[in-house]
Amino acid sequence: MAKEFERTGSRLVSNRKAMITFSTTVAQAIATHAEATYPDECVGLLLGRFADTHKLVVAAYPVENRWAGQVTLAETDDPESRRDRFYLDPRDYLRADRAAQAQGLEVIGCYHSHPDHPAHPSARDLVGAQGIGGSTFAFVIQRVDQGTATELTSWLLLDDTSAFEPEEVIVTD
Amino acid sequence: MAVTITIPTALRQYADGQARVTLEAETIGALLHGLVETYPDLGRHLFNEQGKLRNFVNVYVGDEDIRYLEGEETKLHDGETVSIIPAIAGGLCGRAYVLA
Repeated sequence: MAKEFERTGSRLVSNRKAMITFSTTVAQAIATHAEATYPDECVGLLLGRFADTHKLVVAAYPVENRWAGQVTLAETDDPESRRDRFYLDPRDYLRADRAAQAQGLEVIGCYHSHPDHPAHPSARDLVGAQGIGGSTFAFVIQRVDQGTATELTSWLLLDDTSAFEPEEVIVTD
Repeated sequence: MAVTITIPTALRQYADGQARVTLEAETIGALLHGLVETYPDLGRHLFNEQGKLRNFVNVYVGDEDIRYLEGEETKLHDGETVSIIPAIAGGLCGRAYVLA
């Protein structure tokens, strides 16, 4: 049986082919949220199910971007700017977790938007993901160009939390 | 005191896949350390090198953040539910941090 992880230099690299599936309805809900908050970043959680390395998103759970400098992401942090920062408050996570349980689902990931910026995780995203741990939780990024949602990507934190790796995104009816 | 502690989705892989665990503990500190004794792999995700809870890891008793109670000294009562909850943050800047 193949190992789940292999070490490459100082990094543990997953051997699993991970993927995440959205219905067009859920993908549209994320896009609409990201367009509504533009030029600020939006944030939310993803409720769904795990099946081995495959995740099925059943619903998006939008929450308010409560960034106000609660945590240190970089020395240049501006507590007023939600155009390039987001903060997903743990109380919102708790509410989402309870909503998921009530529907027999789990919180399987989170999403946020990158206004006028590629849908790749940033250095701040990496710092701000350290509370998650694990290598299964999806970090979904919705790119928004000039107010219109475009690319949707998903990323997994490596087990040693040193970087993200992409996972395949499927949007289907 | 028998207290149930819920483990967030991403950390369940370090706790034999358990979503909730019931342990005997008088305080939050004893509960968390009991949890890490049971599931040692959880330790590095919950505590920093100084043995303190990581910045982005939050612990709630019911709906209350232990930072606004008595921290790890917060006393527990029989049947309470304690939740480990991540804060997630980020934002645009500089180069992308992805696996090369």
